[in-house]
Amino acid sequence: MLSEDKLQKIKEFTSTLSREELIWLNGYISGKAGSLQPSAAGGALTAGIPKKITLAYGTETGNAKKLATQLAGIAKKKGIGVKLAGLDQYRFTDLAKEEYFFVVISTQGEGEPPLLAKKFYDQLHETQVELKKMKFGVLGLGDTSYAQFCKTGEDVDARLEALGAHRVLPLKKCDVDYEEDALHWIDNVVTALQTLVGSVPAMAPPAPAEEKKPTGKKHYKGTIVTSVNLNDRGSNKETYHVEVSTDEDLDYLPGDALGIIPPNCDAAVEQIISLTGIDPNLEIQTSKVTAPVKELLQKHLNILYPLKTTIKQYAKITGHEIPEDTRLSLPDLLKIYPVKDAGMFEEIVKILTAQAPRLYSISSAPGNHGLNEIHITVSKDEFYVEDEKRTGVSSEYFSTKPVGTEFEFFIQKQKHFRLPSEDKDVIMIGPGTGIAPFRSFIAERDAQAASGRNWLFFGEQHFVTDFLYQTELQDYLQTGALTNLDVAFSRDQKEKIYVQHRMKERGAELYEWLSNGAYMYISGKREPTSKDVEKMLVEIFREHGNKTEEEAEKFLHQLVEEGRWEKDVY
Amino acid sequence: MSEQSPVEKIKIASRGLRGTLKESLQDNYTGAVREDDTQLMKFHGMYQQDDRDRREERSAKKLEWLYSFMLRLRLPGGFLTPEQWIAMHHVAGDHSTGTIKITTRQTIQLHGILKSHIKPTMQSFNLAGLDSIATCGDVNRNVCCTSNPGESPVHEEVFRFASKISEMAKPKTRAWYEIWIGEEKIGEKVEEDPLYKDRYLPRKLKIGIAVPPNNDVDLFINDIGLIAIIENDKLIGFNLAAGGGLGTTHGNPNTYARLASVLGFVENDEEKILKAVYETITVQRDFGNRSDRKLSRLKYTIDKLGVDKYREEVEQRCGFKLQPAKPFQFTERQDRYGWVKDYKGNWHYTVFIENGRVLDGEGIDLKSCLYKIAETGKCNFRFTANQNVILTDIKEADKAAVEVLLNEFGLIEHTNKAGALRKNAIACVAFNTCPLALAEAQRYLPTLISKIEPLLEKHSMKEDDIILRMTGCPNGCGRSPNAEIGFVGTAYGKYNLHIGGDRLGLRLNTKFKDSLNEEQILDTLDNLFDVYQKEKKQEETFGDFSYRKWIL
Ligand code: SRM
Ligand SMILES: Cc1cc2nc3c(=O)[nH]c(=O)nc-3n(C[C@H](O)[C@H](O)[C@H](O)COP(=O)(O)OP(=O)(O)OC[C@H]3O[C@@H](n4cnc5c(N)ncnc54)[C@H](O)[C@@H]3O)c2cc1C
Ligand SMILES: Cc1cc2nc3c(=O)[nH]c(=O)nc-3n(C[C@H](O)[C@H](O)[C@H](O)COP(=O)(O)O)c2cc1C
Ligand code: SF4
Repeated sequence: MLSEDKLQKIKEFTSTLSREELIWLNGYISGKAGSLQPSAAGGALTAGIPKKITLAYGTETGNAKKLATQLAGIAKKKGIGVKLAGLDQYRFTDLAKEEYFFVVISTQGEGEPPLLAKKFYDQLHETQVELKKMKFGVLGLGDTSYAQFCKTGEDVDARLEALGAHRVLPLKKCDVDYEEDALHWIDNVVTALQTLVGSVPAMAPPAPAEEKKPTGKKHYKGTIVTSVNLNDRGSNKETYHVEVSTDEDLDYLPGDALGIIPPNCDAAVEQIISLTGIDPNLEIQTSKVTAPVKELLQKHLNILYPLKTTIKQYAKITGHEIPEDTRLSLPDLLKIYPVKDAGMFEEIVKILTAQAPRLYSISSAPGNHGLNEIHITVSKDEFYVEDEKRTGVSSEYFSTKPVGTEFEFFIQKQKHFRLPSEDKDVIMIGPGTGIAPFRSFIAERDAQAASGRNWLFFGEQHFVTDFLYQTELQDYLQTGALTNLDVAFSRDQKEKIYVQHRMKERGAELYEWLSNGAYMYISGKREPTSKDVEKMLVEIFREHGNKTEEEAEKFLHQLVEEGRWEKDVY
Repeated sequence: MSEQSPVEKIKIASRGLRGTLKESLQDNYTGAVREDDTQLMKFHGMYQQDDRDRREERSAKKLEWLYSFMLRLRLPGGFLTPEQWIAMHHVAGDHSTGTIKITTRQTIQLHGILKSHIKPTMQSFNLAGLDSIATCGDVNRNVCCTSNPGESPVHEEVFRFASKISEMAKPKTRAWYEIWIGEEKIGEKVEEDPLYKDRYLPRKLKIGIAVPPNNDVDLFINDIGLIAIIENDKLIGFNLAAGGGLGTTHGNPNTYARLASVLGFVENDEEKILKAVYETITVQRDFGNRSDRKLSRLKYTIDKLGVDKYREEVEQRCGFKLQPAKPFQFTERQDRYGWVKDYKGNWHYTVFIENGRVLDGEGIDLKSCLYKIAETGKCNFRFTANQNVILTDIKEADKAAVEVLLNEFGLIEHTNKAGALRKNAIACVAFNTCPLALAEAQRYLPTLISKIEPLLEKHSMKEDDIILRMTGCPNGCGRSPNAEIGFVGTAYGKYNLHIGGDRLGLRLNTKFKDSLNEEQILDTLDNLFDVYQKEKKQEETFGDFSYRKWIL
């Protein structure tokens, strides 16, 4: 539509501009355009920037939510109406109606969507909807130390496009230190919207190249100084209390987790080498590290539980027919589906994903144990392959490494899982290893001489053999650091008794604490406890707060909103 | 009068032995009961214990000590019906270590009962018509009575006194039924108890009844003893004795073992007999030492008052005088192993049970065998003060059936092949449950005896019915102070050697050597046996010889 010379001038001029200047100019022009009366000829111009966009978030530990809320604020300041929506609450049928749809979503597990967004994620992938009129953008939260960095973000981004929606700015993948990148992203969203609305052909500003920064985690060297199995003889469980000392001062808070990239056991490594005949000293370059094969297998790669995707690639390379969703350890794979030669195995090494970090809720407290000591509580994770008993990589490591062992770890901040101010009451529900962060909480509150009361619910299988930290908890009860201690041992009687049953018994008092502003936390294995506990809470609210089902659930939701019902489940 | 012992305050504050036991049961974060309640538990027949073998390891695991409870049944004269045996067998399996421990006072103990298992245990016993009321604590304990009905025609009559005395001296509070069985409390008022009042006794009190010529109950170690006086097969009355007790404390010269003194005779008039026993208790109740529990047993009270004064006090309270004691004679103290026929023609079989531990394995399935026999319903069970069991009241016609089972499980062979020394020996519980143990006893004596037997062989004393007893500390639960050879634990693996006691339990022994280890024990005995063989008089027992030779 522009005449040659005009176009020429613009090209010359714009070529002198920096990216920022371009973006500004972009806004300026669209602003001008908006102020002009739509000329009969031009037609296409829609007025102003969109009244409303939807900013949806999918979160597990709350980062995506916090971030989305913050971004919404910024957008509003820039005059953009924002409808903030948690994907857990999102009505999928609304999707087709969305015009401007932006998503902030994290990745969990092995590249899986956060639990609260799983329903949406599945519907998105299983249903065929026309999203022709949708303009969208996705921000993925993730962690480069995991094999499938921001996988969920990628999936959502790709799927929306596949359903016909129009991507207005490229997917942005953020590492653990996401704040800065996120601000950038929201700017880009705003500009993109303006661009869209201004008639300038939708040329989204070039997003900054995805340059990899080292992840924001600080790594420490630690030495195991104590390691005891807390379970007594005759228990079905092994739970290791591991005390680690560091020379360097640690920077963590109660609620944080210790992260480790666990080394694989030598046996497996040796087995692989002998099965493939590869030269252990051969240097190979993988996505993250370049090192001799042996070191790669020992320290850096996931060889004991490769991803399904990895196994697909393995099948391609080796030319074997491997059934859908087979999941075997590499040694097992190599036995059943051998590689032709060392050369072929070299290819396999390149497709192996990085060893994922394992997290352990920290069970020590800076206020009590100082800055050069950190404790974790590791339950030996045993499972069967065929009928051979195996142990998980990381828990195997901690259950076998002797005192004196040195290893590297990092602190995984868990901003959502924090103690309230010292005058607030705290209710802690920590069955099994769920006790770990609460040992830290109680120790810290004790050190602070907090005026708020503390109430712990603990559960395990047997009183005699499985009462983790029993004597410490008894002492806290003695000194008053713990106000209430309620325990449930599921297998000491015919009918099974779990923490939620104890909660019901103490329902009246529990409700009273909560209505007076208590903060409630749960930690431990996700299945099945956390679900059952929430069901029971609703029941308790109904009974003791004489509420209807809806009111009870509303009350629980309100606790979530007020940050008074926090989870650290895995 | 000096300060009362803390236990006195606990008893008085306990509202009829209730204390905070109900609350203690609800403290589900610990396997223990609250401190004051550990004292009250005893009056209900339980001791809080912990597995001493596991203390260190559990502490390292941040687990509290492995607390559990030992429960002792109240079985006057040690009698159980077959139905009760079956019930007890199951309770033991469901709630305790499974081992049924026959005690030196003719009853049974179960160990390792977790706090959460106490109520079910008590309730099952209650259903079987059994209880554990006052088998421990500052009250009258299980009443002993010569066990073998084959002993004499008057046995039945005498035996009945055991239950009567037990009933008479039972606390009146219903606490046991409220706390363990769940009985409703009627009103706030605490039951009146004319005998025990609210303070109970200064200390434990023990009553035994003996039917001469057998002193199997070790009559003179009891606080109160009744000796049946029989004239031409009639029970004409009892000699009343008082002031027995064996417990001492290492390094406390004020403590000593004492044999009961005979106070006099009471004719066969139930009311008078019970009255005499009752008032002998009240004198101890009112004159006993309540400030120093080490010196609070009746034996110290009677020495404080003097035997005559004590008798007068009793007579005054009775309102009648005790007649001069009648002559009596004991000729043995051991159990009559194997078959015995009584005057009615019924049969009784005494099974040898080493240290009273009824369990399976260790070479012989005692527990299963006795269970099978109980199932036949063909006999009653009577425990002996020597920690054995007698299968009693077996009809001539049923004898064969019982014998088949005894043979099937090898109990007859087991009983016959045990040597004399082993059969007459007693060891107390000691480790791993007894909190007061300084050395092993029942876990160790069997092996020690196996090492002593060759010495007996060597000195051709294999057939001698020497009475050897071992206790893990000077409390004397295995009645070591009243044996021909007594071992008293001083430290782990170390024992004082006492000798000079007589065979019948009429003379206490005396310490001869301090803190011997096994090797020294064996050497010393070897020498003593050698001298005994060379120098003993005709028919002179080892006890009498050693008294004459080394003690006098
Ligand atoms: C089970 C038994 C020994 C056995 O192997 O059979 C026994 C076991 C204990 N006796 Fe005993 N006594 C047992 C007969 C005796 C006897 C012998 C007798 O009565 O024929 C004596 C010596 C006689 C006497 O009373 O003087 C006896 C004198 C003691 C004493 C010392 C009392 C004293 O006056 O010094 C104690 C410690 C105490 O009471 O403070 C004691 C305390 C104990 C305790 C309860 C330890 C405690 O106080 O915590 C022992 C429990 C160990 C366990 O784990 O089972 N036991 N105790 C006997 C149970 C009898 C019953 O059924 O009631
Ligand atoms: C925030 C957070 C806090 C946590 N806190 C704690 C804590 O305080 N204490 C604690 O004990 N744990 C905690 N965990 C869990 C912990 O991080 C690990 O997941 C757990 O220890 C298992 O790791 P692993 O390496 O031992 O097992 P992995 O090797 O990771 O195996 C895990 C599971 O994968 C499967 N699997 C693995 N290999 C195979 C195979 N070859 N074939 C078939 N199946 C296989 C098995 O089901 C196995 O159970 C926490 C997790 C999170 C996210
Ligand atoms: C158990 C666990 C597994 C994770 N798996 C992945 C992953 O596979 N890929 C990834 O990029 N990030 C992964 N992460 C990192 C999270 O996505 C990152 O911490 C994010 O900030 C969480 O955001 P949220 O609080 O909104 O859930 C994982 C985190 C945890 C705790
Ligand atoms: S004698 Fe001592 S060690 Fe043996 S049971 Fe009695 S108190 Fe325990």
